[in-house]
Amino acid sequence: MIFLILGLPFAGGGLDLILPTNRLRNWILFLIALAHLGCVVSFWLIPPPAVINGFLALDSFSIIILSVISILFFAVSLYAAGYVQNEKGRSNRIFTACLLFLLFSMTLVTMSQHLGLFWIAMEATTLMCAPLIYFHHRPQALEATWKYLVIGSVGIALALLGTFFLAISALEIKSLLLSDLISQAASLSVPWLKLAIVFLTVGYGTKMGLVPMHSWKPDAYGEAPGPVGALLAGAVTNCAFLAFLRMSQICHAADQAEFLKPILLAIGIASMALASFFMLGQIDFNRLLAYSSIEHMGILILGLGLGGLGIYGSLFHAVNNAFSKGLIFLVSGNLYQQYRTKRIGNIQGVLKSFPFTGGLLVVALLAVTGIPPFGTFFSEFMILNAALATAHYSLAFFYLLFLSIVFVAMSSVVLKMARGLPENREVELNPNQKESWITTVSPLFLAGIALLLGLCVPSFLNQALQKSSAFLGG
Amino acid sequence: MNTVWIDMALAVVVILAIGLLGTSRLGSIVRLFALQSFILAFLPFLLEGGIGIHKVVIATGTLIVKVIAIPAILFWAVRHVSIRRDTPAIFGGSASLLVGGFLIGLSFFLSSRLVLSGKPFSDLLIPSAFSTLFIGFLVIISRVKAITQVVGYLIMENGIFLFALLLFETTPLLVELGIFLDIFVGVFVMGIIINHIQNEFDHMDISQLTSLKE
Repeated sequence: MIFLILGLPFAGGGLDLILPTNRLRNWILFLIALAHLGCVVSFWLIPPPAVINGFLALDSFSIIILSVISILFFAVSLYAAGYVQNEKGRSNRIFTACLLFLLFSMTLVTMSQHLGLFWIAMEATTLMCAPLIYFHHRPQALEATWKYLVIGSVGIALALLGTFFLAISALEIKSLLLSDLISQAASLSVPWLKLAIVFLTVGYGTKMGLVPMHSWKPDAYGEAPGPVGALLAGAVTNCAFLAFLRMSQICHAADQAEFLKPILLAIGIASMALASFFMLGQIDFNRLLAYSSIEHMGILILGLGLGGLGIYGSLFHAVNNAFSKGLIFLVSGNLYQQYRTKRIGNIQGVLKSFPFTGGLLVVALLAVTGIPPFGTFFSEFMILNAALATAHYSLAFFYLLFLSIVFVAMSSVVLKMARGLPENREVELNPNQKESWITTVSPLFLAGIALLLGLCVPSFLNQALQKSSAFLGG
Repeated sequence: MNTVWIDMALAVVVILAIGLLGTSRLGSIVRLFALQSFILAFLPFLLEGGIGIHKVVIATGTLIVKVIAIPAILFWAVRHVSIRRDTPAIFGGSASLLVGGFLIGLSFFLSSRLVLSGKPFSDLLIPSAFSTLFIGFLVIISRVKAITQVVGYLIMENGIFLFALLLFETTPLLVELGIFLDIFVGVFVMGIIINHIQNEFDHMDISQLTSLKE
């Protein structure tokens, strides 16, 4: 089964490179996404056995992240078909192929139990994203892609160095398999382990877009087309978060959790602080979303650093954030195609002109900022509780402060865009830009999931979350 | 006996990295990188133990990817763009050499603080790995041309490769091959992007890409 779920996207990507028409390629993309989702569902029912000497296996962390990726990718695969269709005359050959290779590498990330293999898969996600960001072929997109590639590659090279340091620390174990590292954690050499943690944090933190390694993120997210933004913010960042989960697993086993925690807390709150201030007065909608993503990554890392209930909250927030970010990026894709601009000032009266997009925009705002019926509220609340329970009062204060700044910044902007009258008729220059069902259904689907997670957490998910947080002492 | 050769090879690797700091011609920069990788490719054979399949594969992999394929891509990029020189933007050539020297000192200091269980085959290995890594990083941040930045990244990778020599027995072959593949594809993608930058802006000066700013 593991070979099947890896082989399908890879074969599909190869097939998309040679198929002749956009239509066929869209079908392949959609069918592979569907089959991938089917495989993931079967994994919940029957856990697959480990393969290749335990290099690839599915543990409770993997399956949570993998399911999130699969569902999000399914929605995006449907949406991407409609999105590229609206870009008249564009071939989707490279686009769909890269999407499928990205799915392959993300699946590989979630399943890798060997840290070297994990790194390879992670680097592959970086490389596959680059052509996707450049999709619109604007000069600014080129600049963003270059920044993303160089900063991402350097960051990930530091993560490789961290991985080697970890291997040096584990010279007596002679293995980089997670299970070996955890079971024999007592024999890890502590100074090298600490050095490894620092480099891994910087490296995978760059990939996740944490302050101060975030500088590529507003550019890349700002230029990426909506569906790609959804995958970057919802799926790729979760892969990087998985790296932090693995690190915590090792630190927890080696009794070095106290070394990792303050680092995580500092990076987490710094990310929230910087993101919230840059969101005030932001004039570009996609850049606003990028800073919002930085903020949410900060929340995830903060929860992980707090420990206890925070770990459950953080894992749950990773799930919620993926769907709400996916939702709002798909909506931003709609807006870009309808208005041909990302400047907030030029978008007004969305509710009047495009009722479905406008409605979804408001729903997305609620989901992203964590308003009660949505899952994000509950996970953010759990992390607050964890901060209070561990007597981090000033941290809790700043956490709430930054969350409210973000809420004010985002809601003022989004409500201005949604309400009001369409200011001038220039917008209507594009009469063919009607709302198509295909670009409405997928965000609707994601909105439904984001809402559902707030109303009730399915028991199987709850079990997996609890099992995972127990591994980290939560 | 072997340690003398290993030490010499490591010293040459670091000297080549320094030479790169003082070079402004793009063609020479790529050549220096290829030469450095060439020496790295033979380093595994100087280590203890016989000539195993692992060593042969790593050496051939380094030769094919870092000595032939990647320099070929970079030379193609240099020919394709009309620029031949790249001088450090932040500080001049001599200052960047000074910083390089400082970084090497820092590397020796760092490695003296890190104790390795079991003696490495050469005392110079860890300092030279750190030095190469730092110099690569310096190249990335101090140069403005896209191609030089790519070479800086590759020099960093060479530094990491030196660390990997410590782990020869523990890293599976499959993983190392995967790393080679990733680096190769990475440079390939970067080469394509450089080409696009050249077509779009008629230059490949990264310092002029400034439209995305807060």
